[in-house]
Amino acid sequence: MTGRGADEISTTGATVAGGQVTGEVLTGDVLAGAAREAPGEQDASRADTRTRNNRAWFLVLPVVVSVAFTAVIPLMTVVNFSVQDIFSPTDRIFVGLDWFRSVTRDPEIRAALLRTLLFSAQVLLLEIPLGVALAVSMPRRGVGVSAALVLVALPLLIPWNVVGTIWQIFARGDIGLGGWTINNVLGVNFNYTLDSTDAWITVLLMDVWHWTPLVALLAYAGLRSIPDPYFQAAQIDGASAWATFRHIQLPRLRGVLTIAILLRFMDSFMIYTEPFVVTGGGPGNATSFLSILLSKIAVGQFDLGPAGAFSLMYFLIVQIVSYVFFTVLTRTGR
Amino acid sequence: MIEWMVWTPPTALVFAGLALLLAGMTVWARISPPVARRGFLRIETDRGDRLYIGLISAAVVLTVWIAVTDLSMWLALACALLVLLVIGRWG
Repeated sequence: MTGRGADEISTTGATVAGGQVTGEVLTGDVLAGAAREAPGEQDASRADTRTRNNRAWFLVLPVVVSVAFTAVIPLMTVVNFSVQDIFSPTDRIFVGLDWFRSVTRDPEIRAALLRTLLFSAQVLLLEIPLGVALAVSMPRRGVGVSAALVLVALPLLIPWNVVGTIWQIFARGDIGLGGWTINNVLGVNFNYTLDSTDAWITVLLMDVWHWTPLVALLAYAGLRSIPDPYFQAAQIDGASAWATFRHIQLPRLRGVLTIAILLRFMDSFMIYTEPFVVTGGGPGNATSFLSILLSKIAVGQFDLGPAGAFSLMYFLIVQIVSYVFFTVLTRTGR
Repeated sequence: MIEWMVWTPPTALVFAGLALLLAGMTVWARISPPVARRGFLRIETDRGDRLYIGLISAAVVLTVWIAVTDLSMWLALACALLVLLVIGRWG
């Protein structure tokens, strides 16, 4: 039954899409043609008459200077740190790649990397389906839209450290509503300061609470951009809500979901403030993600060499993911 | 003034090399503007994109090498340069 319904929808959907696509292609062609002609004309006129004035680029200079001071020069310094054992600016020994060797082979750092990847994977597995479900069940018109948007967006407005503080208290067994309920009403022993699983669950739930709204808002925006004829066609075919979701809404969400997945991966991979406030990386090493371990090495122990090598490895991973992010965002459909 | 940056000759050479590379790419782009094309990476890239992807891939090769084996890093450097070359030429 569902299968037949789905088939019918897809064909009708295609007709509807086909009808629209012809229109779009027409206008698209006209536009593209105009665009194709325009640069040609410009090129022809530009080629022989006057030189282009590029002095406006000097307006970028302040950004270049500030980025140099806040990013490039510190990064160069970190590279310098990573190949030396430094006691003071004048008393330092060149050690070559030793720090890189010890950092990449350190079991604690490898465990933190795996832990961070696992955390990111769980964050994605929970937040993406939840966010999509939330977006689908949000009202599409009427007064409910504003109310739902405000309610859903609320966690996004709270600063990271405040989210941490909220959950640190909320999950406490003695005075926190959540922790107290789990311990005394459900009768499950829950203590995130002693039990590593409880700590992990607390941090994970906190991230889901804080960031699912972002996925929901992105998905909602994607859903709102689907033209009504698709839904009308589905309705005429008597499609179930699931078939509508599976064959109309989900395929049209691919773009925004790509953005959501990459954003959530980057953010959860670099998470620092919230677990720092709630668990401080503990109990033991249970929630010490890469960022927490790095700050412990760099600021706590002041081991500049290993911290430099560590940050460069971390930077490399973030760099790769953000490049993929950038590529997917700017080159899809080309 | 730059004492706090604790420079060493090798890192200074690396950054000078990078600066030279960027300057060289700029000059090259002035002489013959880069053309975007599609290689085995399956995305449209011009030579600057391929240089960036190649450098990042070379860094990955070096990192994995130092993480798993005690073989000479010069060999790793050779592999990294090979990767850079392959991506730059056919990427």
